[in-house]
Amino acid sequence: MSIVSYLKSTILSKIVMAVTGIILLLFLIGHTLGNLQIFIGREVFNQYAYFLQSTGELLWVFRAVMLLSAILHIVTSVYLKFYNLKAKPQKYAVTNYVKATLSSRTMIWTGIAIACFLAYHLLHFTFGVTNPEHTKYNGYVEKGAGLYVEYNMPVPELIEGKYIEIPDGKILFKQKDVYKMVILGFKNPFISIVYIIGVIIVGFHLNHAIQSAFQTLGLNHPRYSPSIIAGSSTFSFLIALGLISIPVSVLLGIIGGVA
Amino acid sequence: MLDAKIPSGPIQDKWDKHRFELKLVNAANKRKYKVLVVGTGLAGASAAASLAELGYVVEAFTYNDSPRRAHSISAQGGINAAKNYTNDGDSIWRLFYDTLKGGDFRAREANVYRLAQLSNNIIDQCVAQGVPFAREYGGLLANRSFGGAQVSRTFYARGQTGQQLLLGAYSALSRAVGKKQVKMHTRKEMLDLVVIDGKARGIVTRDLVSGKIESHWGDAVILATGGYGNIFFLSTNALACNVTSIYRAYKKGAYFANPCFTQIHPTCIPVSGDHQSKLTLMSESLRNDGRIWVPKNKGDKRPPNEIPEEERDYYLERKYPSYGNLSPRDISSRSAKEVCDDGRGVSSTGYGVYLDFEDAIKRLGQKEIEARYGNLFEMYERIIGEDPYTTPMMIYPASHYTMGGLWVDYNLMSTIPGLHVLGEANFSDHGANRLGASALMQGLADGYFVIPYTIGDYFARNSFDKIDEEHEEFKKVEKAETEKINKMLSIKGKKTPTEFHRELGKVMWENCGMGRNESGLKKALELVPQIREEFWQNLTITGEADDLNIVLEKALRVADFLEFAEIMLWDALERKESCGGHFREEYQYPDGEAKRDDENFAHVAVWEYTGQENKPKRHIESLVFENVELAVRSYK
Amino acid sequence: MKLTLYIWRQKNAKSKGFMEKHQLDGVSEDMSFLEMLDVLNEQLIHEGKEPVAFDHDCREGICGTCSLTINGTPHGPEAATTCCQLHMRKFKDGDSIYIEPFRAKAFPVIKDLISDRSALDRIIQAGGFISVNTNQAQDANALPVSKEKADLAMDAAACIGCGACIAACPNASSMLFVAAKVSQFALLPQGQPERKRRVLSMVEQMHQEGFGACTNIYECEAVCPKQVSVRFIAQMNREYMGAYMKNEE
Ligand SMILES: Cc1cc2nc3c(=O)[nH]c(=O)nc-3n(C[C@H](O)[C@H](O)[C@H](O)COP(=O)(O)OP(=O)(O)OC[C@H]3O[C@@H](n4cnc5c(N)ncnc54)[C@H](O)[C@@H]3O)c2cc1C
Ligand code: FES
Repeated sequence: MSIVSYLKSTILSKIVMAVTGIILLLFLIGHTLGNLQIFIGREVFNQYAYFLQSTGELLWVFRAVMLLSAILHIVTSVYLKFYNLKAKPQKYAVTNYVKATLSSRTMIWTGIAIACFLAYHLLHFTFGVTNPEHTKYNGYVEKGAGLYVEYNMPVPELIEGKYIEIPDGKILFKQKDVYKMVILGFKNPFISIVYIIGVIIVGFHLNHAIQSAFQTLGLNHPRYSPSIIAGSSTFSFLIALGLISIPVSVLLGIIGGVA
Repeated sequence: MLDAKIPSGPIQDKWDKHRFELKLVNAANKRKYKVLVVGTGLAGASAAASLAELGYVVEAFTYNDSPRRAHSISAQGGINAAKNYTNDGDSIWRLFYDTLKGGDFRAREANVYRLAQLSNNIIDQCVAQGVPFAREYGGLLANRSFGGAQVSRTFYARGQTGQQLLLGAYSALSRAVGKKQVKMHTRKEMLDLVVIDGKARGIVTRDLVSGKIESHWGDAVILATGGYGNIFFLSTNALACNVTSIYRAYKKGAYFANPCFTQIHPTCIPVSGDHQSKLTLMSESLRNDGRIWVPKNKGDKRPPNEIPEEERDYYLERKYPSYGNLSPRDISSRSAKEVCDDGRGVSSTGYGVYLDFEDAIKRLGQKEIEARYGNLFEMYERIIGEDPYTTPMMIYPASHYTMGGLWVDYNLMSTIPGLHVLGEANFSDHGANRLGASALMQGLADGYFVIPYTIGDYFARNSFDKIDEEHEEFKKVEKAETEKINKMLSIKGKKTPTEFHRELGKVMWENCGMGRNESGLKKALELVPQIREEFWQNLTITGEADDLNIVLEKALRVADFLEFAEIMLWDALERKESCGGHFREEYQYPDGEAKRDDENFAHVAVWEYTGQENKPKRHIESLVFENVELAVRSYK
Repeated sequence: MKLTLYIWRQKNAKSKGFMEKHQLDGVSEDMSFLEMLDVLNEQLIHEGKEPVAFDHDCREGICGTCSLTINGTPHGPEAATTCCQLHMRKFKDGDSIYIEPFRAKAFPVIKDLISDRSALDRIIQAGGFISVNTNQAQDANALPVSKEKADLAMDAAACIGCGACIAACPNASSMLFVAAKVSQFALLPQGQPERKRRVLSMVEQMHQEGFGACTNIYECEAVCPKQVSVRFIAQMNREYMGAYMKNEE
């Protein structure tokens, strides 16, 4: 009861939306910057993946925060949607918006689309459910050297996420060959298109979301608001562009030619 | 017989002394008295809130859907007060004198002096309520000069002073409603007053949504129902403004004072056709820079820009060289009518004059004109569809305010004990002409600072029988009103209430408007009963009585206008002088100036109802001037 | 000009409404929108039919009574203009015009184009005031207010309480209306003592009346005849957060 009692106040609900949205956005920024390292090359990219994996408990804390934010963001938005539908039971015979942008009026729908997309994304890359053939490749990282080493696969006795001493005395860390996974995934034009569409929707969602968070948190001033609104759009565009560049580059063979 | 109850003593001390002499109601006893406040404009809302704060039980009524929508909301210019913040020589005495002189010496000295005294408290009260008056960079209140006053004493909130003051009073009222100290009745229109044992004891209303006729009892009734400028059909008043409440009180025995004192405002947007439903006021300040003219030749239909300078008649500058375009409201209005009657008017109807900014734009630049009048020009363009920067504006006078109203004594009580009248609905402070920015002042003075004291005296001096809505007098009035409505619905004639109203308005405007004369008034006294007779034979009303019925609402209001018009005409006919807004063409100097007759008419004309078929009886309250000398207004 | 009007007709609060078609000829472009409806109504009365009930009073754009949604936009196509000030020259001969009441759950339709907006009054009653009794005031110049703040407070106070913001909002949120009042008083020194209580109780009442949540789409600002800015909503969010966290009641 008490944890969702903020729902009784629409303003508090909006603040929860803004704060969880910002958390998710921060993650997305990091995710985008991290992923763009794919352009530097396989080693660096996998190294980055290794860095993430090696954070141990912190990773779980991080995942918990993300999960909680996502849940609160979704629960609150769905609740508000029903609340708002109730507040305006009868629509006009003709609708005509003066200022409201398409992205601002479709937040719930883009939000739902993003949730579906996210689920697919997790099933695809994180859990390897939809296309296990993309995620079955592993690599090894050597402790100390920290370098990516490719072994003949598979090495079944190694457990993912754990350091293991192998017979030749090295301590290895097993992880997915994330680079290969991405390349294989995006080589499939259908999957790429799904991603491109998904990311465009994310950009569309952010276009309204970012400036909206400023407003909800009380930051609106005639001197800065135009920049906030313009900045919000530019920023969403850049994020979308950055994320789209990866599948496009894979399709065009700019990266991943070797895999 | 008419006792104004003006306290004795020097004028400065009268109000203080009077407040001391007023009897008080013990704090604990106040909740035993119930006051009905009809009207929640500036006067009504401020009264209802103040009385509730004192502990009286208050019920307030308005036909609007919210108290915030009362007609007071549309006042633009500002509110006067004798604060002398600008250090330009203002004082209570000067505000008193200006107001009295502006009214052409047809108001009570003592009342006007009290008004000037209280003006300062009003500003304090409103600022404390959060009214965002205009301020200087130093954070203190700004003032401007308004309506030709020689000192800057007008406080304002952009062009929305009335709105902000009303919202202040509305917030005080809302606070009391929230605390259940005031019971608010919205969309309820008072149809009649109920008098029991000679005292005002209640009202009968119609619920505008359900159509239900209901009774409400009280120990005193306050009418703050505004003015009757809509008698002319077209006016600057809100559409629902009407005379019903005060006219009905008049029929129940309250005397009506100076009904013919109505104010015509010179700068309104002209009529564009028969469809016209109201006239929009353009701020008087436009006359500071605009030049008023009409073509010299009759029927000159050329566009204004093609009429050469020498064929233009700048008639105000010609006739009143020293005041020119800034001549007072009544003079500018009359002059406009004259040139239009002469066939030289402009606009599609021939009833309009140009207000030209060409010279001002040349002199000051478009930028400066935009800074001064930008929003007014915009409003004009929205309504007329022409750009005043390039084509001269057209203006014409319109009915704006009614100085007349129910007669009240110094305590704001009418001739019916317990019936108090505040704001524009009473006659008290503006004489024959109201100065700009003084109606808001009067409404708030009445509501905040006079009635809370004087009503207590009435309660303390009287005893009240216990009554309720079942009293036979209520039943009688309810029945009469129901029958009246049924009668209206049963006529099933051919003309709508609006058509009758328009017809009445035309007769009144032509014969009892800016210029009045004996033959016109007599003609109107024949025409009005004819319209009224036709009304009761040929009216058509659709819909039912027990429903939201906009046609019936209108018909009920028009029916009272049709009766009230006659006292207005009688009053204009019998006031054989010209003063303020009342210009009798027979009484003027050779140069066309109004000729006041202080010897015979320095009095309030007070009318008593004597039955439907009889001419009302005219009483007088002589006006005694002990503190000022009666001067002649001259604007040459 | 000649127009085809589609007008919402509804007998009373309980009955179901419908759009009714009317042809209207001889409309002059000098008419205001409401005068055009007056002409229609006079015609209807002459035909013995009930005229279209709509709310109006000042016809000057200040009382906030008029409340028509014209072609899907509250107060119609002209920015910063109430429908009583809208003139027919904004329309063309042969146009079809859809006229509906202001809609929201908290604004139930009473009849035809008239809706009940008393919810707004109740929000003000809950806290939209400064508690000062008559004659309790100090001298008007005792508390200076910087011109910038006074002007900003006036921007907020310009609200005419018409409810167009709510009618335009797909969520029927009344945030702009409430925020304008909260901000006006929060900006003035006179409003400080009750600053926290005011925002909490007004927002609470707003919830009770059944208005929706703001989703920052700013349609309210776009249709506001007085151009009250959504920056006041941001200010109210701030006020509310502060008051909520420090609330001791
Ligand atoms: C366009 C315009 C501009 C103006 N500008 C200025 C200005 O700048 N300065 C200035 O000082 N004055 C100005 N005035 C005059 C001033 O606004 C009014 O005289 C004043 O506001 C009247 O206030 P009131 O409280 O007496 O009545 P109103 O505000 O008219 O209120 C009347 C109230 O009575 C109610 N009512 C009436 N009849 C009934 C009934 N039968 N049953 C129930 N309720 C009823 C109404 O609903 C309303 O609530 C202006 C007037 C106009 C028209
Ligand atoms: S009728 Fe008053 S604002 Fe439109």
